[in-house]
Amino acid sequence: MKAWVDEHVPEFFRRKWVLIVGLLIAWFVLGRIFRGVHTLDLPNAEDTPTTAFLGDMAANIRAARAENPVFVYVFNPFRQGIESFIEVIRLTISEPASGAVIPLIGWFGVLALIGFIVFATSNWRTSLLSMVLILGCGILGMWTYSMDTLALTLGAVILSLAIALPIGIWAGLNDKVMTAVRPILDLAQITPTLVYLAPLALVFLIGVAAATIATMIYSIPIGIRITAHAIRSLHNGPIEAAESMGSTRWQKLTKVQLPMAKRTIILGVNQTTLAALSFVVIAALIGAPGLGEPIVRALSIRSIGDGVTAGLAVVLLAIMLDRATTAAVVKSNQIPLTGQPLLRRRIGLIVAGIATIVAILLSRQQLWAAVFPDALNFNEAIGGGADSFTEWFTSTFYFFTTTFNETFTVYILNPIEYLLADSPWYLTVIMISVIAAIIGGRGVALLSAVLLLLIVWIGLWNDTMITLTQVLMATVIVMVIGVALGVAAGRSEKVERVLKPFLDAGQTLPAFVYLVPVLALFGPTRFAAIVCGVFYAAPVVVRIVADGVRGVPKEMVEAAIASGSSTTQVVTKVQLPASKKSLLLGANQGLIFVLAVVIIGALVGAGGLGYLVLQGASKPELQGKGLAAGLAIVLLGIVMDRIAHSSAKRS
Amino acid sequence: MTTTTENASTDSGAGGKEPAISVRNLWKIFGPTPNAIVGTPFADLSRPELLKETGCVAAVRDISFDVADGEVFVVMGLSGSGKSTLVRCLTRLIEPTTGQVLIEGEDILGASASRLRQLRRTKFSMVFQHFGLLPHRSIIDNIAYSLEVNGVKKDKRHARANEVIELVGLTGYANHYPEQLSGGMQQRVGLARALAVNPEVMFLDEPFSALDPLIRRDMQNEIVRLHHDLNTTMVFITHDLAEAMRIGDRIAIMRDGAMVQIGTPTELVLNPADDYVADFTNDIPKSHVLCVQDIARPLGDRSVSTTQAIESDVIVRSVMHRIMSDPDPINVVKNGQVIGVVGREELTTVFAEDINKELTA
Ligand SMILES: Nc1ncnc2c1ncn2[C@@H]1O[C@H](COP(=O)(O)OP(=O)(O)O)[C@@H](O)[C@H]1O
Ligand SMILES: [Mg+2]
Repeated sequence: MKAWVDEHVPEFFRRKWVLIVGLLIAWFVLGRIFRGVHTLDLPNAEDTPTTAFLGDMAANIRAARAENPVFVYVFNPFRQGIESFIEVIRLTISEPASGAVIPLIGWFGVLALIGFIVFATSNWRTSLLSMVLILGCGILGMWTYSMDTLALTLGAVILSLAIALPIGIWAGLNDKVMTAVRPILDLAQITPTLVYLAPLALVFLIGVAAATIATMIYSIPIGIRITAHAIRSLHNGPIEAAESMGSTRWQKLTKVQLPMAKRTIILGVNQTTLAALSFVVIAALIGAPGLGEPIVRALSIRSIGDGVTAGLAVVLLAIMLDRATTAAVVKSNQIPLTGQPLLRRRIGLIVAGIATIVAILLSRQQLWAAVFPDALNFNEAIGGGADSFTEWFTSTFYFFTTTFNETFTVYILNPIEYLLADSPWYLTVIMISVIAAIIGGRGVALLSAVLLLLIVWIGLWNDTMITLTQVLMATVIVMVIGVALGVAAGRSEKVERVLKPFLDAGQTLPAFVYLVPVLALFGPTRFAAIVCGVFYAAPVVVRIVADGVRGVPKEMVEAAIASGSSTTQVVTKVQLPASKKSLLLGANQGLIFVLAVVIIGALVGAGGLGYLVLQGASKPELQGKGLAAGLAIVLLGIVMDRIAHSSAKRS
Repeated sequence: MTTTTENASTDSGAGGKEPAISVRNLWKIFGPTPNAIVGTPFADLSRPELLKETGCVAAVRDISFDVADGEVFVVMGLSGSGKSTLVRCLTRLIEPTTGQVLIEGEDILGASASRLRQLRRTKFSMVFQHFGLLPHRSIIDNIAYSLEVNGVKKDKRHARANEVIELVGLTGYANHYPEQLSGGMQQRVGLARALAVNPEVMFLDEPFSALDPLIRRDMQNEIVRLHHDLNTTMVFITHDLAEAMRIGDRIAIMRDGAMVQIGTPTELVLNPADDYVADFTNDIPKSHVLCVQDIARPLGDRSVSTTQAIESDVIVRSVMHRIMSDPDPINVVKNGQVIGVVGREELTTVFAEDINKELTA
């Protein structure tokens, strides 16, 4: 077969991109001819056997909570354990005990305590910055919400690390363990956050426990991955030396491997913390207290002002947690102090400790130190300002916010949606599988076909295609932006320096906070969801592409310049082809990031699978469809990830 | 190849006393089926053939040798010839596939895990090419590490560490961290760490290869001095022949995992076992390694004609001037006995060879 093709088909038609373009044209023509036939469109209130089955299952689980032994002896005690653990932290900083007016520590005491902890783990400059940022949360009028978010985040991080660090270390030391956990880590990475929520709420009820467990499920894999990597990437020299000096395995681990891996492990703590924060905010959808609450409320009633103040508070918290943990990484990397500087630091710690205790005592006795003062609360001014700014902006830049949006929707988004969702389902399945075969080979094609058929069987084919359309659109835009900025940053250090703060911020901020401004600008539309996805995924892609371009050997570029290439030629003929692997990796990451956000985009009108998930969470009669939609999202995620992954691997 | 290994096993530098290290038929095979090679026809295949047939690499191949107490035994060979694997097999940092290793008469391969740890903490120590210092520990805590894991109390182990710090000339650096020191100083820490336990045997795997040539020279002198003072048995790996000549009592040459030749520097230069060894030794001017007795003209039936005399085991180069400035041959004396004479004629022959080599190189 292959020999025959090689002999009879002209070389031009055997090129991958020619094949794919040809297929797309064929698909488009066939899609036009068979438009509206066998699209499997399912009205909102209607069930398929699968969704009905899942709905029954959900109802059974709800009914079983009270007496089924698995619930009585495992799930319920587990839930209560987690609840009481989080409650301890909340009672300390955010929630007054019953009968009390303030939590155990008032705002002033909390402020001082945070300052002290950051000072002890890093330095006084970061400590000061942290206090300013926390103060900012109060100024935004979000003190109590922020403390709830902080409490939940800290609780989830502590629990996550208690699980992630030992498993990560074990997986770092032992190849078998690594092989066993890797598929779970991979799956966790591509599963959009929204998917966990409903099943967990079903088992653990809506509230703090389900939110914490969901957060842990999200952040534990990140912690495991980085910890295992920290152990695995150590230089072998010192470890072998320790062995040659007669260390036991335990001595080797505690005296050599862990201290050497400390820096990367703290980086893992940083990533775990940011992941937990972003998830705690989203977990408001299943009843987590904190900043997510006002954001969800603002999104549903389109009150931009409230969304903006809460969103900004999330941003401040994210920066605070990021800076504090990053500074701890830097400190762990420094040579320990001795002599005079050590003495000075010890004195500093004692003074700061005393000041903190005084502040805590004050915050329990003086009203001004107990409750965040109204005089410092600028919530209304900031919220109102955001509202009027939005109004001014959307009316002034009508072209950008509405015309652009509509043009894009009519001329680009709709045709593609027709192609994917309005063609007969079998046509789409075949086309995607053939494209998968061209890009990634037979195995991936087979996997794609099977998983797509599973989605058909579940019965949510049409909604899946609507989601897929948005994901593909957003990914294409992300890649265009990512390659343009990535190449610029990879080629020039100046560009890189300018972009860096934006990339850092982009990678620190939870996806949820993008929803507010996008909703303000574009209203609840599919376009808004796509813009969110683009904003969220672009920093990662830019970074990966820039790294790839920077990694192209200097001699290669110099050789191209020396033989008279123009800048464009250097980029297109040398740097891009040489960093092809990074481009494909970037596309892969871009897809996964975009998928996660496009699903959440249901909150701002994206429709598709995300909408079904949200509906399932709020209406019991639609829960079956919600769970099925979650399943379909995971299947779709695997299909896209495998296709992108295989193309990266093949190159 | 088999004949050279037999040579090797019979060649004992121990001179009757029990050897410090005794290695017999040691093999290390990396790959999927390490146990299905030795004793089968596969064992006779060359390295690339073996890799192709079985996917295995014979990193150490049927090696036998003895090291005498207090000897400096140098192992040389091109990169990839199996030196590092060999030296690690001796202390089981790499588990050998088969063979026997006796150190001070004790069977190392049969030792239990805890006995092996005990030996590593007290009897052996190792110095590594890339130092292998612990970056998160101060110099003194790096040096005291093996005492620490052996449960020695802090003040005692620090006292001992301070002694060796002085011994290797690092006084004043006890509280520095490895990254604050230059490469040469870091390897002094590596040396100090190895000396801290008062080892009976030291293993050094290309300890100076990562250092600048000038510093390397210093460190070689340091080793010679330490060995002179402490008389520790050493197995010293290097790929630099000049270093081997300067430090080693005997030199073993490895190729593709097997031992090609073992001998004193002079033996290797005078009688290289094959072209591979000759290639190594070719770069060395003969005048640098040969002793006067190696080039002396036998007395024959002539009578002693001069009163001038040189000891027989002096390196030729060091007496070059004396021989050249004397128009008559000089007596070569061994144990007070005149065994021959050496004159301008002999000297010229040696130099002519050296110069010729340099011109053709
Ligand atoms: N862990 C290992 N797994 C497989 N092959 C190895 C391993 N370690 C060394 N080798 C192979 O064994 C041979 C000898 O390596 P080595 O002992 O490091 O040589 P040298 O120190 O003389 O440069 C080399 O071909 C190397 O590739
Ligand atoms: Mg080596």
